[in-house]
Amino acid sequence: MIDPFSIDPFMALAGRLQGEIVIPLLYRLGWMQWEDVGLGWSLFAVYGFFQVLATWAVCMPLEAWRPVERWPNRRVVTTDMIYTLIARVGLLPLVTFVGFYQVQVWVNGFLVDHGWIPPDLELLIPPLIGHPVITFFLYAVILDFADYWRHRLSHIVPAWYSLHALHHAQRQMTFWSDDRNHLLDDLVSALWFGFIALLIGISPFQFPLLVLLLRFVESLSHANARVSFGWLGDRLLISPRFHRAHHGVLAAGQRSCNYGAVLPWWDMIFGTADFSRDFVPTGDPDASEALASGGYFAQQSAGVRSFAEVFTRARTEPADSSRAGIPG
Amino acid sequence: MAKLSRMILSTRRSLLGAGLAAGMAGFALRTHLAQATPAVSAASQAGPKAAPGSGGIAVVMNSANASISIVDMASRQSIREVPVLREPHHWTLSPDGSELWVGDAGGNALFALDPTTGAPLGHRLLADPYQLWVSPDGSRLTVNALRLDHVDVYDAGTLKLVRRFHVASMPSHLTYAPDSSMVYSTLQGNDSLVAIDLMRNAIAWRVRVGPVPAGIIWHRDRLLVALMNGDGVAVVDPTDGRVIGHIPTGKGCHIIQLSPDRRLIFVGNRVAGTLDALDGNTLRPLARYTLTGGPDCIAFAPDGKLWISRRWRDSVAVLDPETGAFEVIPVGRSPHGVFLSPMLKLFADEGRAGLGFASV
Repeated sequence: MIDPFSIDPFMALAGRLQGEIVIPLLYRLGWMQWEDVGLGWSLFAVYGFFQVLATWAVCMPLEAWRPVERWPNRRVVTTDMIYTLIARVGLLPLVTFVGFYQVQVWVNGFLVDHGWIPPDLELLIPPLIGHPVITFFLYAVILDFADYWRHRLSHIVPAWYSLHALHHAQRQMTFWSDDRNHLLDDLVSALWFGFIALLIGISPFQFPLLVLLLRFVESLSHANARVSFGWLGDRLLISPRFHRAHHGVLAAGQRSCNYGAVLPWWDMIFGTADFSRDFVPTGDPDASEALASGGYFAQQSAGVRSFAEVFTRARTEPADSSRAGIPG
Repeated sequence: MAKLSRMILSTRRSLLGAGLAAGMAGFALRTHLAQATPAVSAASQAGPKAAPGSGGIAVVMNSANASISIVDMASRQSIREVPVLREPHHWTLSPDGSELWVGDAGGNALFALDPTTGAPLGHRLLADPYQLWVSPDGSRLTVNALRLDHVDVYDAGTLKLVRRFHVASMPSHLTYAPDSSMVYSTLQGNDSLVAIDLMRNAIAWRVRVGPVPAGIIWHRDRLLVALMNGDGVAVVDPTDGRVIGHIPTGKGCHIIQLSPDRRLIFVGNRVAGTLDALDGNTLRPLARYTLTGGPDCIAFAPDGKLWISRRWRDSVAVLDPETGAFEVIPVGRSPHGVFLSPMLKLFADEGRAGLGFASV
């Protein structure tokens, strides 16, 4: 009766979290009006926890079995673990939920007041109603397409790349590196997807297992593992080999390759795919050492400094186009 | 408890013999689907079918599942899932009772179902229909757009917007005066209650009534307002919003509903995990039931049992108020509104006042 892809084996745990921790806390703070948002956050936190657990259970053995690189000191990887826990287990989603609530009220309210009720994809393609899995895959393709352009722009726009460089500065890239992002970069991403959500309507909590699967692919693509899906597989789904080329030292900066997150199709269509590179060294040679190997806060503040320097440079010097010329 | 038992028997009698109202004619949302952009045929929405038993059906809105569970009341089995767009929360009957309207808040859509079978009839765009209810005289549909901070008053016959009231913030539940002259909406976000004069299409007053107001009913010339951070029910004068009393119930007091014979008032306490039964005459507590898992909307069955959604347990509890024991029926994620098809008999006999949201 219930669609198997919407069955949620973790909901019982999220319900416990909601009933025994989140709701009593909201009650104590006098914030019971946020109870529905609290349930959304509880679901997100539980899924995030199991996402991390499942990714670790698969990627850890892979990285041990066929590592691309071996490092005597893995301290910088520990910092990436902090990013992952913040992003997936709840703090960032909590801030996003609360921070964007009023923004989406204003934007949605403005649109509705002016006669435009944001439609859902299913309203544009009515036969999709009642076919949640197909609908989800369509949403996933659209979102992946949007993410390709977000990511590509983050390399093209100098100020944006000054923040995104934090993600690329990691020389010891592992499956933990997927969430290693500057908070301002995360903020821009949230706005980007908020805009897309306004256009097509998205409710990821309807499809927790599939969201988990997609996030798993993204984490796996960063793994320090000699894993390729073969000639055909690499063209269907992004593999660690394909995405590692994007993180290569020669691909950092404004002209990179392999921007896709889950599907390599957009790179193939728009001429940015490079299937030729085999497990290249990663990192951004131009990034400051603080971005590469600093702790969490050192990296965040270095990102802000780097961001500010872009504007300072723009006022005092002609544009430096040297990095834009690095071949892909 | 003996008094409660007598009252429950009385409630049961008023519901016994409930059948399915048939032959209702008049307004139907499906007649307006030509205006909806775009409309969906019933066939394209229908899931696998199973015939409901003679005991009627329960329609449960799974707010985190984008679906509606159709439950056979006799066998306690979910027999069908009706897909919607995003977040179905609450329901109301169309003016003539021939359609069950379900608000899909996140999907910005109003879905119509056959209230006797749960078969989908179509849907149309409507901004953020979170809580919705047709006025006792059937002329107005009031929609609380919780996410968008406004209360929309529609012509219930044409579904054309009559007036939008920006009432920040978070309009939650609503009730009407029995003569349909006023509608009252609780504003969760700023501890207030707003009264809208439906004759003048203007806000009559807005008053703070207590921390985080949620459920509300009209009861004997008073408004009873559940306070989620106020541990009980505020008694409010509907003429000016003045708080004239407070009934302690439990932490997270959220929902408040009348039994069909109006002799009992049930109050759900979300944080405490309890359900209180109050005497409809004296407003004094008669019994307390333990019901964990986020008890929410309540519907009354002909056998005197209460069907209550449990938001964090993905289930509906069927509570026997005589014993306090309850059965559990698994449904979708975060179930919210519950409609029972035997309630159509009450609607046919007594109009909307028989459905438990307002007394006269």
